[in-house]
Amino acid sequence: MSWLLNLYETYKANVDRVGEIETKHNDREYTLLPVSHTTQNAHITVEITEAGEFHSAIVNDKSDISTLIPCTEESSSRAGSKIAPYPLHDKLSYVAGDFVAYGGQIKKEEPFAAYIKQLEEWANSPYASPKVKSIYTYLSKRRLIQDLVAWRVIFLDANDKLIDKWDKKYEALHGEKPPIFTLVAGEQESAFVRFNVRKQNDHTMVWKDSEMFNSFVQHYSSLLGKEDFCYVTGEILPSTDRHANKIRNAGDKAKLISANDTSGFTFRGRFAQSSDAASISYEVSQKAHNALKWLINRQGKIIDQRVFLVWGNDDLDIPDPNADTFTLKLELEPEMEPELKPVAADVKISHTYKEYAREVAKALDGYRNRLASRSKSNVNILILDSATTGRLAVLYYRNMEKNLYVDQLIKWHSTCAWLHKYRKNEQGETATFYGAPSTKDVAFAAYGPKANEKVVKGMMERVLPCIVDGHKIPQDIVRSAFQRASNPVALESWEWEKTLSITCALINTREVYNVALDTENDDRSYLFGRLLAIADVLERRALDSDERRSTNAIRYMNSFSRYPARTWSTIQSCLLPHQARLGTRVRYYSNLIDEVASKIKIEEFDNKALTGKYLLGFYSQRHELNYGKAKSGDSNPTIPTSNHEER
Amino acid sequence: MRNSIEFKVYGKYALFTDPLTKLGGEKLTYSVPTYQALKGVVESIYWKPTLIIVVDEVRVMNAIRMESKGIRPMEYGGGNTLANYTYLKEPHYEVRAHFVFNENRPDLAHDRNEHKHHNILKRSLEAGGRRDIFLGARECQAYVEPCVFGEAPGYYDTYDGEIHFGNMVHGINYPDETGRDQMEVRLWNPVMKNGYIKFDKPEDCTKVRRIADMQPKLFDHHNVQSVDELFEEIEAGGQS
Repeated sequence: MSWLLNLYETYKANVDRVGEIETKHNDREYTLLPVSHTTQNAHITVEITEAGEFHSAIVNDKSDISTLIPCTEESSSRAGSKIAPYPLHDKLSYVAGDFVAYGGQIKKEEPFAAYIKQLEEWANSPYASPKVKSIYTYLSKRRLIQDLVAWRVIFLDANDKLIDKWDKKYEALHGEKPPIFTLVAGEQESAFVRFNVRKQNDHTMVWKDSEMFNSFVQHYSSLLGKEDFCYVTGEILPSTDRHANKIRNAGDKAKLISANDTSGFTFRGRFAQSSDAASISYEVSQKAHNALKWLINRQGKIIDQRVFLVWGNDDLDIPDPNADTFTLKLELEPEMEPELKPVAADVKISHTYKEYAREVAKALDGYRNRLASRSKSNVNILILDSATTGRLAVLYYRNMEKNLYVDQLIKWHSTCAWLHKYRKNEQGETATFYGAPSTKDVAFAAYGPKANEKVVKGMMERVLPCIVDGHKIPQDIVRSAFQRASNPVALESWEWEKTLSITCALINTREVYNVALDTENDDRSYLFGRLLAIADVLERRALDSDERRSTNAIRYMNSFSRYPARTWSTIQSCLLPHQARLGTRVRYYSNLIDEVASKIKIEEFDNKALTGKYLLGFYSQRHELNYGKAKSGDSNPTIPTSNHEER
Repeated sequence: MRNSIEFKVYGKYALFTDPLTKLGGEKLTYSVPTYQALKGVVESIYWKPTLIIVVDEVRVMNAIRMESKGIRPMEYGGGNTLANYTYLKEPHYEVRAHFVFNENRPDLAHDRNEHKHHNILKRSLEAGGRRDIFLGARECQAYVEPCVFGEAPGYYDTYDGEIHFGNMVHGINYPDETGRDQMEVRLWNPVMKNGYIKFDKPEDCTKVRRIADMQPKLFDHHNVQSVDELFEEIEAGGQS
């Protein structure tokens, strides 16, 4: 099914959420908009009685100006001198019948005439609610400005004309600067007015009243004309050629569907008019776009104007494919804390890591089982971006069965897996987890923390199919991460450690290694990596604890990855003074070097560049030496803490 | 089936543009080919105004994958604009199609020789098509080869259940094929089972949307080589 159809179905499945205000983490409000509605900042609230009499008026507080208002196709795209009134709440120049009498300037016809005519149609239609009739009764008396002035909401000059801009000379008339001039960006006539009807037993605001929403939706549906085939549903319904913008945020001007080309050949050639090329019904366009806006506010991730969105048709909350295993585990089982202690036993190492991966798979399976009552449910993955300010493109769309999606996630978090220590838990302590990094962290490893956001978002888009469809990770990403991980001198130590573990995870997607040291592995690169790790740990042990310089193994890591045999002789020479310093304790390390080096075949001990496996060997050997049991028979050194502090 | 061919068509990219996103200039591909796109592929292999190509069935061989590209389209008034096009990646389809004679062209009744047309069609298919093969858009070059429909293993062979693609464009009705002097668009709802999509016949499509008036293009013996002539050329060892 197409993305528009799925958005349409999502809207219909969540109709009970229409109009309910929800809050983002930054205290911004958002809602699932009803059809034919939009949001607007309102500056003035006018209270009206049930009988259609003026009751009171106030200037709104800044925190309470966002208002859900009905709109027509014309009013949602009005601009310049065009007169297209909103159906109910609108600017002062539209809603005030005595606007001209108080010095208001109009260009051609009177905006109020169009407004009140439209409101009259609604008030007299069979769908009108009592509140609409009350508001219409009052406004048709044409005395709104008069009442607002009496309530000191808006202000007149000495000639009984609306004051455009506040000036010192008006202080003699009205005292301090009134709040309306602070709240409205332009002139007083641009003040947006909203109306509320006071009832004895009903305190719902007009702009939060679902009865009002339904009243206008039904009224406006009866006015829609010109039926045509809808390319989304295939039915003959009233069509539209104006579609929503403000999709990514309130200031967004890009449109997913736009058709205003009269000079180019975007669609002209085979077709003469935009309606020839395609037609979409008003209802589908409204519901699909409103659902998309709501989902982006609710759970979309935006990086440099690119939107990554994942949702399900039935259950909106879907595990995020871009998240790492740590975040995923917290989401699926928030009461459990990941393992914080380093493992101490050789036997337990692989068991613990496999157990951890199995726990994530179990959590995902548990998540899947919670939906067992539904036979079929789907997951949607959508990526949006714009190349120009006026148009929004769908870069990627995928609709797949939820079971398949969960299987792919389990596979990803089991294969692109390694031990990571760069996450912090809620107490700010270092958290260790075994699993997949997030795509953002993959970008960190491949391009560094200061990479341009365009590069990051492009990479995230390219990695997403690897997670969802099981493709290979692009070679350039793996190579870039590998090269950065092989150059620790250029990075801070925390940065390098993070890059190293993420790179090991990326390499592991095609190698299926364990973090536990594989002493049976006789791969050339793996063995060279182990050699480098032994040299690193040996030297680190020999250095005083207050000496913070990096070891020679780390310094030569870059050239070691390209010319291993030549560089190894250099590293071996640099080890001599440190071996002397260790005394008898050096025997364990010397034996280990002999053991690993002897595994390398003579014909392979050359200067051919190492593959990524050497990082796996390096990491595993170092981890073994730092956390595994020391096997030296001569002494029992205490298990050291990590050699590198993490930020 | 009479007058039928079976072939596979594959390339690096495909773009069966969804008309809803085409309006503004940001192209997004459908997930599967339209009937009209595959008909265009067969017509690139071999076609004459005497014939109407009917696409019977398509089989999706590779997984449906999308990839987007930043494009710099030229504007006819000068300068360029920027857009994102989203393509299908590594498309591979097996197609079964056949031809029937166009009864709306009585001028070309002399050209209706089933046997010769079919032989030329098969021979053109062996050669990879008489014209450039492309999948939906001109920049998406593709290749055709004969095959036995349904024989090779496909990605969706073991997929459980059906995949519904929602409402899609089926194709365009032209005046010389319908007998009505207007251009129409057909819509339908494809369903894929184990990778197979069976196409409705154009006349069986119930959702037909009239676009505009249109007159059939004139073809007669002045601008059409007869099938007998072409067949003799081929028999004499000429190129397809």
